[in-house]
Amino acid sequence: MNRSKLFSAVSLAAASAMLLAACGAATPAPTAVPPTVAPAATAVPATAAPKPTVAPTAAPAAFVGDKLAAPDCNYGGSMKAIEAVDATTVKFTLCAPDPAFPQKITGSSFNILSKDDIAKTGGDAKKIGENPVGTGPYILKEWKHGDSLTFTANPNWWGGAVANKQLVIRWSKEAAQALLELQSGNADNITKVATEDFDTVAKDKNLKLIPVEGLNIFYVGFNVNTPPFDNEMVRQAFAMAIDRAKIVKDYYPEGSTVANGFIPPSFKPGPSPDIKWYDYNADKAKQMLVDAKFDFNQEIPLSYRQVVRVYLPSVDKVAQEIQAQFKKIGVKIKLTPKESGTFIKSSTEGKEPFHLLGWGADYPDATNFIDYHFGAEHKQFGKAFPDILEQIKVGATNSDVAVRQAAYDKINTMLKQHVPVIPVANGYSAQAFRADVTNPIANPVSSTDFWMIKGAKDTFVSVQSGEPISLDCADETDGETFQACDQIFEKLLGFKPGTVELKPLLATAYKANADASEWTFTLRPNVKFSNGAAFTANDVVASFARQWDASNPAHKGDTATFDYWASYFGGFLNAKK
Amino acid sequence: MVQFILRRLFLLIFVAVGILILTFAMTRAIPGDPCTAMLGEKATPQTCKLFLERFGLNDNIVVQFVKYAGNLLQGNLGTSIKDSRDVTDILAERLPMTFELTVFSMAFASVFGVALGVISAVKRNSAADVGAMIFANLGVSMPIFWLGLLLAYIFALTLRGTPFQLPPSARITAGTDLPSLLKVWGMEDAAGLKRFIVLMLSNSVLFSSLVQGKLDVFVDTLRHLILPAITVGTIPMAIIARMTRGAMLDALTQDYIRVARAKGLAEFTVIMKHAFRNALVPIITVIGLQFGGLLSGAVLTETTFSLPGIGTKLVDAIFSRDYPVVQAFVVVIAFVFVLVNLFVDLSYAYLNPRIRAQ
Repeated sequence: MNRSKLFSAVSLAAASAMLLAACGAATPAPTAVPPTVAPAATAVPATAAPKPTVAPTAAPAAFVGDKLAAPDCNYGGSMKAIEAVDATTVKFTLCAPDPAFPQKITGSSFNILSKDDIAKTGGDAKKIGENPVGTGPYILKEWKHGDSLTFTANPNWWGGAVANKQLVIRWSKEAAQALLELQSGNADNITKVATEDFDTVAKDKNLKLIPVEGLNIFYVGFNVNTPPFDNEMVRQAFAMAIDRAKIVKDYYPEGSTVANGFIPPSFKPGPSPDIKWYDYNADKAKQMLVDAKFDFNQEIPLSYRQVVRVYLPSVDKVAQEIQAQFKKIGVKIKLTPKESGTFIKSSTEGKEPFHLLGWGADYPDATNFIDYHFGAEHKQFGKAFPDILEQIKVGATNSDVAVRQAAYDKINTMLKQHVPVIPVANGYSAQAFRADVTNPIANPVSSTDFWMIKGAKDTFVSVQSGEPISLDCADETDGETFQACDQIFEKLLGFKPGTVELKPLLATAYKANADASEWTFTLRPNVKFSNGAAFTANDVVASFARQWDASNPAHKGDTATFDYWASYFGGFLNAKK
Repeated sequence: MVQFILRRLFLLIFVAVGILILTFAMTRAIPGDPCTAMLGEKATPQTCKLFLERFGLNDNIVVQFVKYAGNLLQGNLGTSIKDSRDVTDILAERLPMTFELTVFSMAFASVFGVALGVISAVKRNSAADVGAMIFANLGVSMPIFWLGLLLAYIFALTLRGTPFQLPPSARITAGTDLPSLLKVWGMEDAAGLKRFIVLMLSNSVLFSSLVQGKLDVFVDTLRHLILPAITVGTIPMAIIARMTRGAMLDALTQDYIRVARAKGLAEFTVIMKHAFRNALVPIITVIGLQFGGLLSGAVLTETTFSLPGIGTKLVDAIFSRDYPVVQAFVVVIAFVFVLVNLFVDLSYAYLNPRIRAQ
């Protein structure tokens, strides 16, 4: 073979190999992490147990209830046991009192899946999404990845008939484009209206604007360990130097409110109306800074991320406004926008002494705002305040609302005193519907109840801002994914439409013991999954157990991080050390 | 000729290695990580530790590259960090949309661009020439996303209720029933190359609707393609028009044109057979280069029109730091660009016998 022929042959072989590689012809190498091997069993095996970590308890004749229990509470989490007492009763035992437990499990991460389907799919989000089996109003007809999700009515739904024969969820990142879809009649609903479009929608007779209460907070945060913010008087002066009313008026949509504390207004227990936050007083702020021997020559960096959120719809403009307001009292602020991920990481680690950030409610309880941000483990604002920690303990471990409110009243007073943050605004958002839509409604914390909203045509089209990631919401965190999951699956409890008031879904009643460390739920009878299987307490146990127990074969989901479980209930059982 | 092609293919290996290293390094150079990008303010250090471990992102960067390259050699483009799906599947779903859009916009740009350029050159300094060139300059100057929104506004809202109304976004009308070819052909369990190809065909809605005999869906898809194709194709059309005009003007002043006219050939024959054919080399070059530009233009246009192509997915993947998807998509775009350039080079030889002889 001469040189050029050899050269040609090598070239041909190499090009063929590359083509094959590009086409994915060969066997793919697995990249998923294999399931962890279970250490010593922590499930309570009352009878001869099959391999799964969920083991049956002493069995009544007709129903064998599953139970999963931790051997003790030293594993790093706050869940102690989950037990199917009978077919329609499930009991959660916690390591410590948790008065917000019912609110926590309203999250879409705690949707109930069929025990059989969990076993069949191995808890793999991809497989669950291929043929999701839920008890909700809709069943998935088709997921055209990148394009749309189509749902049809679930004939087995306990709630009866749904308003629309077919529901289509689509997505568009561009708010202007989504609005065009609505205006042109190609969509019946858009789930997010850009702040600048509120007026356009409100004035369009073909559309309806439905404002959504802002269960969020935009705040200016300090690290109280870092000079000059280690001086409480400086922080108080800064609180007085910001004209929060002007910010809300100029940069927030209609309905948004000036925050009077860190907890959103409608939470119970929540804010303390009698405890007023500092009024804007530039002169007094300047005098206090002089008294605190503040160095007016220094330039203070104000860090933030350029990410639009409901709690901060005009990031740069608000940052510039704050800079301008401080300039009036002689304080030099340097704006330092940062990449979102880098900023979140550094602020969480307490490396942003003066920053802008916010928080949206995961569940409507004060613990989601106060405990998370001002608890002992949170480093964002520097050292924790012992007096606040003491009251957090009272508020988070008592089921009496009045006692809890008293604790949060004290916390609200202490936050005003210590000023680790300056609460600025509770931002409103809005959904928009075509005017011919009947019963348009938007929920402040949960997904939209499309089953009760009737469009003009048989197919109701909703446009949201992103594609769902999967249909296994146990391991997801974003609202767009929750919106899709919640059409198919249900939780034990939900919210009354348009409110943060609890309502029964798969559970018709619940009760706690005296210290709120045991929660017993009575399940709705005669509920069936979309595949016709009966819903029982074992489905609830299986749905929670796959998240809690890291050695459970179904502890997979999408990324196997189960963020909401970790956030609400701490560590996983049988977690790899 | 065969040796020339094989030599170019051989050189592709080095281009491929370069592309792989570059894309890998560039995706890792983006600030932030997938955990904080996806979870935002809800990201805690504990969660992120688990998350990064799960995807091997805590490994040394060299180890990560070796694993990535190793998987790639086995035909495994990896798994999306964001939604745990095979990147190969995602590619097969997204490529057909972008391919359809690119072909339609390229056809629009080439046909109208060349026509405008030829008319402009033949009717030099006439009102038609000035009008065509003003139009071309406007086309080049217009931002794609703005043009897209403007067209959508005009054709979806202003012309609503008229026969000229066009959908402002999406690939097909919501709720349209078009089953996957995997299902239709009973190949749901297919794997590897077979699955990739059927998925590609299935996601080419034009092809799939035709195969399934659904003409209404075919027409609906075409209607959805009109505005995006015009949006993507406008800038290339303007560039092609200007280039065609220049090349034609140059060709029309050559001696052989004078000879052709002196022979008494019809003017149409002189222009199309003698001038246009000789002007084609630079035109083909610019069309080839614009093809690569179309792929990047598709990123913006697909976002503006909510089309499920590689552009929207790439933007989404970059924002969520979904490294495997970004790498795969950039590599594919780069390869397409390289292959188109190769094709353009080969076409020179076809069009110009002197190059062929060399």
